[in-house]
Amino acid sequence: MAAAAPRLSRRALATAAAVVALLLSVLLSLAVGARSIAPSAVLDALLHGGHSDAAEVIRQMRVPRTVIGLMVGAALALAGTVLQGITRNPIADPGILGISQGASVAVVLAIAYAGIHTLTGYVWFAFGGAAVASVAVYAIASRGRGGATPVKLALGGAAINALLVSVTMAVLTTKASALDEFRFWQVGSIAGREAQVAQQIWPFLLIGTVLVVSVARGLDALALGEDVAKGLGQNVAAVRIVGGIGATVLTGAGVAAAGPIAFVGLAVPHIARAIVGSDHRWVLPMAALVGPVMLLVSDVVGRVLFPPGEVPAGVMTALIGVPFLVTLVRRKAVPA
Amino acid sequence: MTTTRTENGATSRLAAHSLTLAYDDRTVVHELDLAVPDGCVTVIVGPNACGKSTTLRALGRLLKPAGGSVLLDGTELSRIPTRTIAQSVGLLPQTPVAPEAITVSDLVARGRQPHQRWWQQWSDEDERAVTEAMERTDVTALGDRPVDELSGGQRQRVWIAMALAQDTDLLLLDEPTTYLDIAHQVEVLDLVRRLAAPAADGTRGRTVVTVLHDLNQAARYADHLVAMKEGRIVAEGRPGDVVTAGLVREVFGLEAVVVPDPVTGSPLVVPGAPWAPAPAGPTG
Amino acid sequence: MSADTAAPVRTPVRPAGYRVVRVGKRGRFLVHRRAGLVAAALTVVLAAVCVAYLCVGESFVAPAEAVRVVLGQPSPDELVVGTLRLPRMVVGLLVGTAFGIAGALIQTVARNPLASPDIIGISQGASALTVGAMTFGLTSYTVLPYLSVVGGVAAAGLVYAFAWRGGLHATRFVLIGIGFAIALRSVTTLFLTKGDYLVAQQAQIWMTGSLNGRGWDEAAPIGWALLVLLPAVLWAARAQRTVSMDDDTATALGVRLGRVRLGLVALGVVLASVATGTAGPVDFVALLAPQIARRMTRTAQIPLLCSALLGAVIVVFADLLARRLFSPTELPVGVLTAAVGAPYLIWLIIRGHGGRAGGNA
Repeated sequence: MAAAAPRLSRRALATAAAVVALLLSVLLSLAVGARSIAPSAVLDALLHGGHSDAAEVIRQMRVPRTVIGLMVGAALALAGTVLQGITRNPIADPGILGISQGASVAVVLAIAYAGIHTLTGYVWFAFGGAAVASVAVYAIASRGRGGATPVKLALGGAAINALLVSVTMAVLTTKASALDEFRFWQVGSIAGREAQVAQQIWPFLLIGTVLVVSVARGLDALALGEDVAKGLGQNVAAVRIVGGIGATVLTGAGVAAAGPIAFVGLAVPHIARAIVGSDHRWVLPMAALVGPVMLLVSDVVGRVLFPPGEVPAGVMTALIGVPFLVTLVRRKAVPA
Repeated sequence: MTTTRTENGATSRLAAHSLTLAYDDRTVVHELDLAVPDGCVTVIVGPNACGKSTTLRALGRLLKPAGGSVLLDGTELSRIPTRTIAQSVGLLPQTPVAPEAITVSDLVARGRQPHQRWWQQWSDEDERAVTEAMERTDVTALGDRPVDELSGGQRQRVWIAMALAQDTDLLLLDEPTTYLDIAHQVEVLDLVRRLAAPAADGTRGRTVVTVLHDLNQAARYADHLVAMKEGRIVAEGRPGDVVTAGLVREVFGLEAVVVPDPVTGSPLVVPGAPWAPAPAGPTG
Repeated sequence: MSADTAAPVRTPVRPAGYRVVRVGKRGRFLVHRRAGLVAAALTVVLAAVCVAYLCVGESFVAPAEAVRVVLGQPSPDELVVGTLRLPRMVVGLLVGTAFGIAGALIQTVARNPLASPDIIGISQGASALTVGAMTFGLTSYTVLPYLSVVGGVAAAGLVYAFAWRGGLHATRFVLIGIGFAIALRSVTTLFLTKGDYLVAQQAQIWMTGSLNGRGWDEAAPIGWALLVLLPAVLWAARAQRTVSMDDDTATALGVRLGRVRLGLVALGVVLASVATGTAGPVDFVALLAPQIARRMTRTAQIPLLCSALLGAVIVVFADLLARRLFSPTELPVGVLTAAVGAPYLIWLIIRGHGGRAGGNA
C-alpha cells in the first residue's frame, strides 16, 4: 500500500498542474492577439465590466472564442480517449468512426443544397451528419461474426470515410459556390464564432461527458482484453455502445462548433496517459484538461505567428501536435 | 576455422565468450561463457527472467551482444551473413507469428528459404526435407489446413516442422513444449533426442540447444545441462552431476529432494511437502 | 509419430495450392494455382473494361472499330478513340497499376490491412506541395507532377526517418505516418483558403484525383517509371513472402529484415508518388485493390500481380463512370473509385472477412 500513496499524490499533483496550465491558457487566450491586452486589464474587464475598447474586444470576441476553445478541446480529447479505449487501437481518433467526415459532408450539403450559410446554421447539420456516419460505421462493424471488433470498426470507418469523402468531393467539384464557402470551414478554427454557438453545443457536451465518464471503469476492463473484461463482469457491448454514443455526441459538438480540428483527439489521450498512467478515472479528467490547453495554446500561437493574419487553430494543432506525437512514439515502445 | 572445445574435450561449433546482453539500460546476462557441445542436447534451465531465452536468442543472432561475442566455427556471428548462418543454425522463437491464412505445408516450406534462390524456388531437396519434417512431427495429415484453425499443440508441431525443414546442423528451440499435452511433450523431446543421436552410419547427430521450463524434463533429456540464475551460469554439466538438492535450492529457491528417476535413472526433483491446511480445532 | 526405422513410402509434400513451373534446366518457380487463375480472369476483365471504355462516350463506337484503332488500323473513329479516349485510358491503367502495387507493398510492410499511401503521408505530402505551388502562382501542368513526386517522397522519407529507431516497428511507422498525414492535410487546407477562388477550385479538383486532360504526355513518365522499376517489382513479389512472419522467425530464416522492408517501402513510395503526380491522390485504390485481390486469391501474402490488375480495372472502370454518369458534367475519377470500392469493402466486412491486422486485436 505504500506504493499507492505516492502514486496517488503524483497524479493529483499532475492534475493540479494541468488545472493551472489551463487557467494560464485561458488568460493567454484572453490577453494575446493582434491587440495585446495586459492581464490586469483582462481581469478588470471580466469582473468589473467597463466599456473601453479593450473590454469590448475581450467580451465580444475573445471570451466566446476562449469558451468555445475550452469546450471543443475538452470534447475532442474525451472523444479520442474513449475511442482509443473502445477500439483498443492507439491510432484511433474521432475521425476513425467517420464522425468528422460525416459532419463535413452534412455541412457541404447544407451549403450547397439547403442554402445554409451561417455557422450557427451549420451546427445542426454537422451534428446530424456525425450521428448518421457513426451509426452507419457501427452497424457495418457489428454485423457478422464477433460483433464490433476493433479491426472491423477501423475498416468500416475507413470505408465510410472514403464514401463520404467522395460525396463531399463530388459536390465541391460540381457546385462552384459551395467550395468557396466550405474551404474556410474545413480548416477548423475557433475564431469568429459567436457566443450563440457555445450555447448551442453545451447541452451535447454535457450529455457526452456524462456518457463517457460512465464507461470509465468499463474502458479500464476492456484494456485488459475482451475476455478478461467479461470475466470482471463488464458488459462489453454496452460499454462499446454507450462509449461510442458519448464519443459521437462529443465529436459532433466539437466539429459542429469549430470544424474538423485535427490531432487533439489523437494525441491528447497519449499525452494524458503518459502523465497519469492508464486508469481511465484519471485519464479522462486529464484529457479534458490537456485538450483545451492544447487547443487554446495553438490558437494563441496562430494569432501571433504571421501577423497581421491568423493561422487557424485547426492547422496549428497539427503543426504543434506532430513533434509531440513523434517524440512520444519514439520515446516509448508503442504497444502493437 | 577454429573450433572451441568444451571442458570434456568435445568439439563446439557454437560458443559464447564473455557474453553480456542488455535491453535498453538493463543488463540481463553478465559475461557469460558457454561452449555448446556438438552432437548432443543442451538444455538451459533457470527461474523466470534469469536470461535463458535472452541467451538463446543471442546464440541465434537475434540479439546483438552489448559485450563479448558469440562465435560460430570461430567467427563472430555479426561477421557472417545472416543467410549463411540460417543454413547452419535454425531457431524457433517463443511466440512465432504466421501470416494470416497460411497453410501448414506452405509454412513448413518457408523453412527452406535459406537454401533457395530466386530462380530455384523448389527443388527435390526441398521436397524431401519438408516431407520428412512433417512426418517426424506428425503433421502430414494437416498439410492443406490453415494454420490459424489448428489447436495450440498442432500449431506448435507445425512450427517445429518448419525449423526441422530448415535442415540445419544446429537447432535452437525456445520452450518448444509450450501448449503441448504431456504425450506430445514427450514426443517432441524424444524427437529432439533422436535428432542429436549419431546416425546409423556413425556420422555425428545434430546439435540441439533448448530452453525448458520443466527441470525434470530437462534432467531426463539433456546430455548437457546449463543452470542459469540472474544472468549467470550457476552450474553446467551432465544432469546426473549437476542436479542436486543444493542446486535446486540455490537456483530456484525451492526445498526439494532429488531421487533417481525410476525409468531412466536421471535425477528427479521432488518438491518438499506441499502446504496443508491446519487440522480443525475442537471448536469448529 | 512414424517410426524412424525403414523409410516408408512417402507422398511428396508441396506447399498447398502451389504448382512447380520448370524453366530451362535449373529454373524452378512456385506459382500459386488460384492466384494464377485469378490473374488470368482479371486480365480478361481488364481487357473487357478497356474495350468498354473506348466504346462508351458521347458517341458510341462499336467494339470492333475500337479494337481496330488500338491495333493501328485506319478507322473513321480514329479521332474519338485514338486521340481522345485511348491516351486517357492508358493513363488510368498505368495509375491503377502503380497504386495497386504500391498499396500491396505498404500494407505488407505496415502489417496492417488499413495501410495505404495516405496512411504514411505520401498523398498529403504530394498534395501539400502541389496545392501550395498552385496557391502561390505556379500552375504549369508540366511541372506540377514532378512537384507531387517530390512532395510524396519527401513526406514518406521523413516518416521513415522518424519511425526508424533501431529497426522499423510497424505500429510506430503507421502512427507517425498518420501524424504527418494529418499535419500535411491541415497545411493543405490552409493553402486552399489563401488563394483566390479559382485557384482553390483547380486545386480541389486535383486533390480529388482526376484523369481529365491526361494524355500521352502524362502517360510517358509513369509508363517509363513502371518499366524501369519492373525488376524491382519482380524482386518485391518474392521478397514479400519473407517479411510476413514475425521479426524473430524471419531473421532466423536468414532474411535481412531492415533492408528488405526499406526496399519494399521505397518501391511503394516511388510508385505511389509517381501515380499521385499523374492523376492526383486517387489512393483509395491503393487501400482497396490489395485487400480485394488477397481475398480472391486466398494466399498468405498479398498478391502483387492481382493487385496491379485489379487496381487498373478499378481506375479505368471508375473513370468510365466518371465520364458518363452525370453527362455532360464530368466527375473527377477520385469520386468514383471510392464509390465503387467502399460498398464492396463494406460487404466484405459484413460477411465477416474483416481480416486480422498484423499486430492489433
